[in-house]
Amino acid sequence: MTRLCLLAFQRGCQTRPVHTAEAEIQPLLNADNGTQTDPQDHLIYQLPPKGELRPESPGLRDFLHRVEDMVVKELASNAKSHAFDGFDVNWEDQNETVSCIHCLQHPSAQEKGLQVTSISWSCTGSVIACAFGRVDDGDWSTEKSCVCTWNLDRRGLNPKRPDMVIDVARPVMSLSFHPSQPSLIAGGLYSGEVVVWDTNRTQDLILAQTGMSTDTHREPVYQVAWVPGPRRGEMVVLSAGSGGRVLLWTVDSDEGRLVLSAGFALIRQQVPHNSALSKNRGSSNVGVTSLALSPWDLDTFLVGSESGLVLKCSFSAQTLAAAPPDGESVTLRAPAQFSFSPRGGPVHSLHCSPFHRNLFVSVGTDGLAHLHSLLQPDPLLSLRVSDSYVFGVRWSPTRPLLFAAATGQGLVQIFDLGRKSLRPAATLDQLTGGQPVYCLEFNPRRKDLLAVGNADGSVNIWHLSTELTEQGPRETAKLEQLANEVAE
Amino acid sequence: IATFLGRKLQPRPQNEVEETLKRIQGQKGVQGIIIVNAEGIPIKTTLDNSSTVQYAGLIHQLVMKARSTVRDIDPQNDLTFLRVRSKKNEIMIAPDKDYFLIVIQNPSD
Repeated sequence: MTRLCLLAFQRGCQTRPVHTAEAEIQPLLNADNGTQTDPQDHLIYQLPPKGELRPESPGLRDFLHRVEDMVVKELASNAKSHAFDGFDVNWEDQNETVSCIHCLQHPSAQEKGLQVTSISWSCTGSVIACAFGRVDDGDWSTEKSCVCTWNLDRRGLNPKRPDMVIDVARPVMSLSFHPSQPSLIAGGLYSGEVVVWDTNRTQDLILAQTGMSTDTHREPVYQVAWVPGPRRGEMVVLSAGSGGRVLLWTVDSDEGRLVLSAGFALIRQQVPHNSALSKNRGSSNVGVTSLALSPWDLDTFLVGSESGLVLKCSFSAQTLAAAPPDGESVTLRAPAQFSFSPRGGPVHSLHCSPFHRNLFVSVGTDGLAHLHSLLQPDPLLSLRVSDSYVFGVRWSPTRPLLFAAATGQGLVQIFDLGRKSLRPAATLDQLTGGQPVYCLEFNPRRKDLLAVGNADGSVNIWHLSTELTEQGPRETAKLEQLANEVAE
Repeated sequence: IATFLGRKLQPRPQNEVEETLKRIQGQKGVQGIIIVNAEGIPIKTTLDNSSTVQYAGLIHQLVMKARSTVRDIDPQNDLTFLRVRSKKNEIMIAPDKDYFLIVIQNPSD
């Protein structure tokens, strides 16, 4: 028999009484101070400033000692190796052919005989907007026209029915989507007005407009573009017209107005000339027919005129324009700094190369495409595009050596500067029965799409072959070589 | 002669590091060299600031992933060298406990 004994103990404890005492303090002198760190992007990735004496990273010398031989050996054998010669990887489906995937039309505009004057892709690359107006002669100052948009990524895309039709009281000569807000479109009208539409609105789509005031252009606005404004993140609208004015407008959406913030006037007498000027003794204004912004230098822009001048201009030019003041709210300045060799007729389109800071291409009614360097007046290369007028030219956004030009014969000629021959690498027939092609734009997101606007009121969307969109090896180097050649 | 605890102090060995980098840079087709520390922060570079920062951040992650892949397959194994060959150039990475050496080479130059 076991007996279970439960032993229990009890203990207690108690601290000795805690001594407390009270005391007070009061500062006699007060001072305020604060600290604030400056916001710095990528603080952790800031490189230490050069030239400062700093302790050598411990072990760096030994590390380099260890790896140097191995790395040098690999570099040397890689340079000699033929292991990867001719080795190509297909990450994407190769497309051998160029095809027209959509032919977008707005029947009611076509019935009125309106032509596509300008097209623009939205920044997302899904929406194409086209402006209707007329480029050829005719009394069309009071003709109503429209701006149509199609969303190509939408299911149930109907090429004969635009997703949105914006009715405009005057013919629209130029169009430009906002570079970051996909719903805003700026347009320049035949009457000289500039309008910004917001496609997100349901009622009145006009977000802001210049109206007919003393500030507006008096002549058709052939080019609109969005340029960075003085405040960070703000974009202002640039408009250029045949009245010789290049104006910058800030968008005041509360008032629904475009407010003139800066302006430039191109006066013949103020154009720097280093070659014979044309003998045209017409008006002293230099009518602007085309404008190009430089993606490399935000201060530079190029202007092509009705008389064939191609000028390099600066946004920060300070010289005052020699134009009599006409009630404008800002003082107009003369922006032209350099004059390239003039063309034989109006310069319809200019485009700066996205791959080389000094190169741009210009086309006009003489049927030639001139490849220019910003550094010299004469062109580096002159290509015959067409026997008739050439209305538009755009560099490819993916291939440094490629550009496409729209001709008056209804063809889009694509040139590859890497080829030995000066003949086009591809010709896209717009099937408009020989009617001119007025504008063309590469899709900023999808590198294989090219939109082309025709005089018969249709917009063709072309799907380009891989050969025309994939950058080849050493293209940038070849472009650099081309840019460094000095014209005779 | 400056001494500390009776031992001769070595002069700062800056030159040797620079000399080594120059030798590597002199190899055929080398476009740039970056040395990154264990945290992925570039400490020496021959490229411009923004490219350096971009390469350093992206390659550090890639090396960590490559190393863990090798060790997951065989815990006794470890990454000794990483080469990334692309259409335009080749990136060679020599990893180590405290530093990575990144060399960008265009072999056809």
